[in-house]
Amino acid sequence: MRGKFKPRIHGSAEVELDLAPLLAVMVKLVPVLLISSAFVQVMMVETDLPQVVKEAIQNQDNLPKKTTVGLEVSRAEGFKITTLKDGQTFAQAVPVNAAKELDYVGLHKALQKVKTDNPEVFRIELSPEPSITQKEIVKVMDEARKSRNKDVKFIFVDSKKNEEVQTDFMFPDVVFANMME
Amino acid sequence: MGYGRRRFERKGLGNATFGLNITSMTDMFTIMLVFLLQTFSTSDVQIIPEKDVRLPTSTVENNPVQTLKISLSKTELKVEGKLVTKLKNGYFEKSDIDPNDKNFLPAFFAELETTLKNTKFDFVKDGKILLQADSSLSYETLRRVMYTSSMAGFPKLKIATVMGDGN
Repeated sequence: MRGKFKPRIHGSAEVELDLAPLLAVMVKLVPVLLISSAFVQVMMVETDLPQVVKEAIQNQDNLPKKTTVGLEVSRAEGFKITTLKDGQTFAQAVPVNAAKELDYVGLHKALQKVKTDNPEVFRIELSPEPSITQKEIVKVMDEARKSRNKDVKFIFVDSKKNEEVQTDFMFPDVVFANMME
Repeated sequence: MGYGRRRFERKGLGNATFGLNITSMTDMFTIMLVFLLQTFSTSDVQIIPEKDVRLPTSTVENNPVQTLKISLSKTELKVEGKLVTKLKNGYFEKSDIDPNDKNFLPAFFAELETTLKNTKFDFVKDGKILLQADSSLSYETLRRVMYTSSMAGFPKLKIATVMGDGN
C-alpha cells in the first residue's frame, strides 16, 4: 500500500525576502524623480471649459439682446456689480467688510445671484482701480469663475442640441474693461 | 608564577559573514517614491518661476501651454529672460513711459515687435503671452504691460499662478 504523501513542515522556518534588487530599483528611481519633480507648480488663469460652455461663451456675442455684467473693484468702496440688460442697468454693491477689506464671500454670493438671473452670460468686464494688486485681481477671478456651492447649478440652452445644460461655471471669461482708459 | 598582565587578544571572527538589514532603508525609499510620484508633473510645459517674482495663488488647475513668457518683478521687466526695462518699487520710471500715452511702454513694445518679427514659433505668432507677475504689483503697473503687449500683437494674455486656495 502506497503511503499518503505528507509534506514536511518545518516548524519555525523563516524565509527572508531579498530586498536588495528592490532597493537597487528605488535608488535609481528616486534621483530621476527628484530631478524631474516640480515642487512649485505654476498654473495658468485661462478658461478650460466643457465644450458646451465654450460654445455658449462664443455665442454670447451673437445674442440679439446682449447682456453685459461689469465688476468694479475699489479698495475704499468694495465691489460694484453692474448688469446691463434690455437697455436697463441694475447695480449691486458689495461694500468692504468691518475690517475695511474686500468682501470676497459677499462678492461670490452676489455673483451667484447675477448668474442665476443671467445664465447665458459667461463674460465679466472687470475694472479694478489702479491700486488693486495682482493678488486681489486673481482672487476676484477665482470668486467669479465657478460656483463654490456644488448644489448651485446654472441652466442654459445648448444651441447645437437645443437642450438644457447644467454647469457650475459662472463667469470664466474675464475681460479687463478699463485697460485702454 | 607572577601575576603579569595578560595581553588583550581580540577574538578572531574567522570567516564569519554578517547581513546588512536594509528593511528600514527600503521603507524610507518607498515613502520618498510615493511623495515624488505625487509631486511629479505631467504638464507638457514646465515654467520655472523667476527668482524675484512671487506668483499669486489661485484655485485654477490649468497647466501652462507654450507661450511667450514675460516676467514682471518689483524691479525688472523681462521678455524670455531678457531684461527690457527696470522698475522702481514696483512702478515704471517716467522715462520708460510714453509722454503722450500713459500706458504705453516704448522699449517693451520694441522688444515684442522684434520678437514677433524674428520668431518661427506659432504660439508667438498667435499672440499668446504668459505673464509671470509679482502678486504685490498694482494694476497700474500690470495695465501698462497688458496694454503695450496687446498693442504689439499679443492680446491673448494668460496669468501665471501657483496652485493654492487663493488666500
